[in-house]
Formats: sequence, C-alpha cells, structure tokens
Amino acid sequence: MKKAVVYLNQFFGQIGGEDVADHAPEIREEKVGAAMLYDQLLDAEVTHTVICGDNFMGSRTEEAVDTILGFLKDVDFDIFFAGPAFQAGRYGMACGEIGKAVKEEFDVPVISSMNIENPGVEVFKKDIYIFPGGHSAAKMRDDVKKMTDFGNKILNGEKLLPAEEEGYYKRGIRHQYFLEDKTPAYERAIDMLLKKINGEEFESELPIPELDRVEIAPAIEDLSEVTIALVTSGGIVPVDNPDKIQSASATRWGKYDISGMDKLENRDSGMFKTIHAGYDPAAADADPNVVVPVDAMRKYEEEGKIGKLHDYFYSTVGTGTTQKEAARMGKEIAQELQEANVQAVILTST
Amino acid sequence: MKLELGNFYVKDIEFGAKTAFNDGILTINKEEALEVVFKDKHIIEADLRIVKPGDMVRLVPVKEAIEPRFRVGGGPVFPGVTGKLMQAGEGETRCLKDMSVLVVGKHWGGFQDGLIDMGGEGAKYTYFSSLKNVVLVADTDEEFEQREQQKKNHALRWAGMRLAEYLGEAVKDLEPEDKDTYELEPLTKRSKEISELPNVAIVMQPQSQMEEKGYNDLNYGWDTNRMLPTLMNPNEILDGAMISGSFMPCSSKWSTYDFQNFPLIRRLYEEHGKTINFVGVIMSNLNVALEQKERSALFVAQMAKSLGVDAAIVTEEGYGNPDADYIGCLVALEDAGVKTVGVSNEATGRDGGSQPLVTLDPKADALVSTGNVSELIELPPMDEVIGELESLARDGLSGGWEDDEILGSSVKEDGSIIMENNAMFCGDQIAGWSPKTMKEF
Repeated sequence: MKKAVVYLNQFFGQIGGEDVADHAPEIREEKVGAAMLYDQLLDAEVTHTVICGDNFMGSRTEEAVDTILGFLKDVDFDIFFAGPAFQAGRYGMACGEIGKAVKEEFDVPVISSMNIENPGVEVFKKDIYIFPGGHSAAKMRDDVKKMTDFGNKILNGEKLLPAEEEGYYKRGIRHQYFLEDKTPAYERAIDMLLKKINGEEFESELPIPELDRVEIAPAIEDLSEVTIALVTSGGIVPVDNPDKIQSASATRWGKYDISGMDKLENRDSGMFKTIHAGYDPAAADADPNVVVPVDAMRKYEEEGKIGKLHDYFYSTVGTGTTQKEAARMGKEIAQELQEANVQAVILTST
Repeated sequence: MKLELGNFYVKDIEFGAKTAFNDGILTINKEEALEVVFKDKHIIEADLRIVKPGDMVRLVPVKEAIEPRFRVGGGPVFPGVTGKLMQAGEGETRCLKDMSVLVVGKHWGGFQDGLIDMGGEGAKYTYFSSLKNVVLVADTDEEFEQREQQKKNHALRWAGMRLAEYLGEAVKDLEPEDKDTYELEPLTKRSKEISELPNVAIVMQPQSQMEEKGYNDLNYGWDTNRMLPTLMNPNEILDGAMISGSFMPCSSKWSTYDFQNFPLIRRLYEEHGKTINFVGVIMSNLNVALEQKERSALFVAQMAKSLGVDAAIVTEEGYGNPDADYIGCLVALEDAGVKTVGVSNEATGRDGGSQPLVTLDPKADALVSTGNVSELIELPPMDEVIGELESLARDGLSGGWEDDEILGSSVKEDGSIIMENNAMFCGDQIAGWSPKTMKEF
C-alpha cells in the first residue's frame, strides 16, 4: 500500500491553542487528529504525522524546515498533505513553506487546502497544489475530501485534468491539451470573434499574466575604471562547441577566455562561430565580433574609455529558449560576474 | 473574384500502369512520376511511397506538404513559382482531396523539418496522419547545406510541387464530385445588407525572418521578407499564391498544403453575408528588425482603418521573435479601434512554467492557443521509418537533440523517440485545424 505523511499545526495536531504556537517541530509514527480523516479517505496509509507550531514555523522558518526535512529523510512516503489551513494566515504560510520544501527535496506530490483569503494561496500556489477551502474547521471534512480525492487520482495513476476541472488554484503552469470534443482552432477563433463583435462575454485561451519587468539600472557616469563583460544570447562559441550548448531551446551556457585576444577570430580560422539556429549565421561566422564585439571593446580599452574588458565572455542561445531557463541561466551568469567584480555588462542579442 | 475549387475525394492510392483517377482511386505510374521528380538534376536519388492513416510508419525529416491540383484552362498551380506569373484565385482549380504529397529527406534534415507518425499514439500530433499521402523520399546534391542546420531544401520542395502538379493532371478531363465556390464582390460594390454587417479581415503573418533569399514563404514567387503588408483576395491564398518556406521550428509552420486549404479563411467565408462582411486578407510578414516590425504593424493598422475593418483575426506562422510582430499587430489594431482575435501557439517550456509568448499586452485580450512548442513527447518505435530516424537527433531539428544529460539522445537504439513538439510536422496547426489548446495544470 502507498504511504502518506500529513502536516498539521499545534491546534489540529492536538498540542494546544495559541499559547503553544511556538511548539517545536515533531514527527509521530501515528495518525494524530485530522490525520485519521486522511487515512479513512485515502487509497494509502497515513504512516506519520508532522506537527509544528505556527509561530515556530513563522519566525524560525529555516530551522523548522530543516528539522522536518531531517525527520522525513528516512521515511518512505508517496504523497504529502499539509493542512487544510482554512483562513488561518500563519497556518497557510506554514503549509506552503513546508510543502514547497518537501516537494523540492523529495519530489513527491504535495497537496494543501486554503481559503481564497489566506495569504498562503498567493505565495505558494505555484509550488504545490492548493485547493480552495472553507473559512474555518467546520469545513474540515469537505476540504480534506477534495484533497484526498485528487491525491487518490495521483496515487492511482489516473489522468489528471486541467486545474479548473480538478479544482485547485491555477499555478501559472500551462501545458497543451487535446480538447475532448476536438473543436478546431478555427471554430474557437470565429466563435470568440463573433462574441467580441457582439459585446458578449468570451474567454481568452491565454489570459495575459502579470509581466515580470526588470527595472533598467541607473547609468554609469564614468566607465574609465569599470570592468565590463560581454554576454550574448547569440550563440557564439569556440568552433567545437565544448559546452554542447543547444542550437535552440538552450538550457546550457558557456564562458570563454578572451584574455590577450584583440578580436574574436572566425569560423574559417578555427576559432569562433555561432550555433544559434534562429538567424542567418553567415555574418556571425565570418566575423563573430558582430555579435560579441571584442574588437570594439579592445579599442575602448586602449582609448581608456573603459577600465577593462572582462577576461571571459558568456554565451548561450536565445531562440526557443524559455523565459524560465533564460532567467536561471541569467542568474547563474550574474553571480559569476559579481564574484569576478564585473561592474557592467553589455548584453548582445542577434 | 470567383474561384471554384473542384473536389475529387481520394479514397485510395495505388501504383499502376497509368496515372489516373478512377472511382476515388488514384493510380500512379511510379516511373513516370519519378521522371517529373528527376527533371531537376540536383535530385540524385528518389523514391515514391504511399502511406495511409493507421499505417505504423514514421516519416522524418518531413520538409513540405502539398495538395495535388490542376488549374483548369492551363497555367501553373503555383504562379510565379512553378511557372509563369498569372492571377490566382479566379476560375476553376481541381483538387485531389483527403491526400497530400509529402516531401521527406532520404538522409538529411534540418531546423525547419518535422516528423509525422501515421499510426499509433503519435498520429494525433499532426494533421497529415489523417490524410492519405504520396511520399517523395529523396536526396539531393546540395552538399553546401547538407551539414547546415538551416536548409533551403530547394530541390526537394520544388520537386514536391512538380509532383503535385503532375498528380493533379490526373483529373484534368474529369468532372469534380462537388465544388466549393468562393466569391467576394468588390469591396465598394457590395449589397447594402452585406455592407452593414461587421467588416472582418484576417491578418496573416507568414514566415519571413531570413534575410537571405531561399528560406522564406513566397507570395507569387516574391520573398515575403521584401514585401510590405498588402491587401489580398482570400481566393489567391486558397489557389496557390502563397507557398511555404524552409525556416522556423516545424510545429509552428504553415505548409503549402495549409495555405491551399487555410481553414480560418474558409470558415470566415462561411460567415460572409450571414454574420460578417468578409473584407479580405491583409498579408503581412514577420521580419526581424524592430523597425521592420513596426512598419508592418503600421501598414496593417492603416489598411484596416482605410478599409473600415471592424474586427480582425491575426495569425502568425511562428513563435519567439515573431511574437513581437503578433502582439504588436494586435495592439496596433486594437488602438485603431479594431476588435481582434489572435491565433497562435505558445512556448511555456517543458515544465509549462515559462511566459507563453515573448511579449504580451493586456490589449491582446482574445487569444486562441493551439499548442505548446516545447511539450515533451515520448513515442514508441514504429514498424517502419521513411527517411532517416537519426536525423531527428543528428541534424538539429528544432525538437530533437543529440545529447541531453538526463534524457539522452532524441533517438533511442530500439527506435523509440523523445522529442519536443517543436519538431512535429506543422503540429500546432496554426492555420486553424488544431484540436489542441493550452490549459493550466
């Protein structure tokens, strides 16, 4: 039989009320309080109950999470439930914190339930499955039922439907989906168009999410003391592409030593080329400096306009590369640049 | 402008002594058909195969799909491409329906090429698994691009068009089973009843990203990178004025077959005179430089205003960089007071967590989504491969890879594959067929 672990706060774990909200994390090899309800409804056995005071989790989060992950290291479990937290803000945040950590550490499904007003929903709905729940414990049975119904589907390997059909809060995770009635896109488009023309309600298949915009950094007044690095999404690499950066949908980046080079020598000289599949490579292969302008930067260096060109340039491929991968690679590169005391970056695309 | 598309429904295809269409059966004299293929000396090896829905056959690298046709009264099926320039969209053209000519590389694939499974669970990912197909599998002496990821595929694509014209001649002297008639009265001469309906246009953004000639979609043989948005009669698109190019990850492409049948256009025609006044096609493009994108959006909005367009469908052949044109055009139209609906695919990543389009705008409030280019797809081996399976991993197909730390190669020793939807042949069916949407999970 599959195994489950349930996380509860001090109140639902039957330790006590607000006066014991700083109760330190503990794990029990038994079903405590609401864990018994889970056990009844699940196609799995609840083997352990984790209990932690909401204040402890709120104020000493890292310690609480580390302790609980430590407890779970030797526990064999297939699924993790936290809550339901109803409208209790601290409890919701606690369920989110531990749920996210368990998901990352053990890669098991994590399911929680919170009322829409609970701040934990906004913060953690991307990380774990959170079902809409009632305001208070009066809804305990209903809320746990929703969580365990969905948990059973996962445990039994059933096909999971989109969020709106399963009922959990949307997580911003979008996958393609074959419509049961196979309504082709042209029918959906005309239908949407006629509704829009007639002022009727329609539902966009791609609701525009909030945009993650990065503020442009303030200008550097004097570049003469500044080390500048070149970073590109234009796919310039040594001709043998030593880091095997993909030509599209890249997940890898590379850094290449240019110390002592006046410019990047080209593909015919056996030095640098582009592996980017999203633009015509002819110009960049003939002269990689059109994408990574080492030649121009060296001139500025000579003229004293800039302090120094960083000894490495960084490269990946931008075509088809997802925003999430790009953000990860960007962070990794930025960290190296900061460690190398680079103060400015010229980012070249294609 | 009045176009009659005469339909001949192909129930079966077989090889035989004489190329002919009889009682729903298309018989092909293989030798004669291959002579047409070999008219280009760059074709050095070629064979024809027939595949049907349900066959456990995998086709890769697929480069093009074309509907065989015959232009009544003479003239090329693709004016300015396979023959002289002439007006498309007028008169009668005969079509072999429920089938296509598929062009497959015998060995070499590229960024823009795709895969089709005719049967099994992979069949649902492309439209072409639902058709009977004559497969031209061939190799060329275009050695300059053999190892290049970007291929013009010129010899193969043109051979496919010649073959489609050759097969179309089988119905030259026959009466079609039925006809689809497409006729739009001149814009200024429409009846009061029709003129009072909401004026609707479709804005098409065909692939035009390459600066070098030979890769982009062609409009009467003219490189779409070098055109400004222009008004076209929808009949021209349905009658061979546009051909597909050889660039863009494959699932986002419009094949020539897609242009010939463009379901969004056909559906707008059905509404014409009932719920809308179908103004026509504003043919735009997808150039890469920002100024070119802005200029195109400007022209589209101007034309919409001048024509009095009330509402428009905008659709792009591509994703990534072209998303800027797509959203830019939707916004320009909305700003001009035109109600828009967009049709395109998304790129949310293998885990579904990425921003769906490169750029977004709240004004694009009515979008139809046709798929996720980066969806990971695993498929079992097939009984037979036409082409070369290794090309999926070796040749830089947009949805394939040679090596991945976790997933290994796209092509496994037993013939099973793991790939991104990106390499499914015209898989996102942005022309309008797509039964897929995008959902939150």
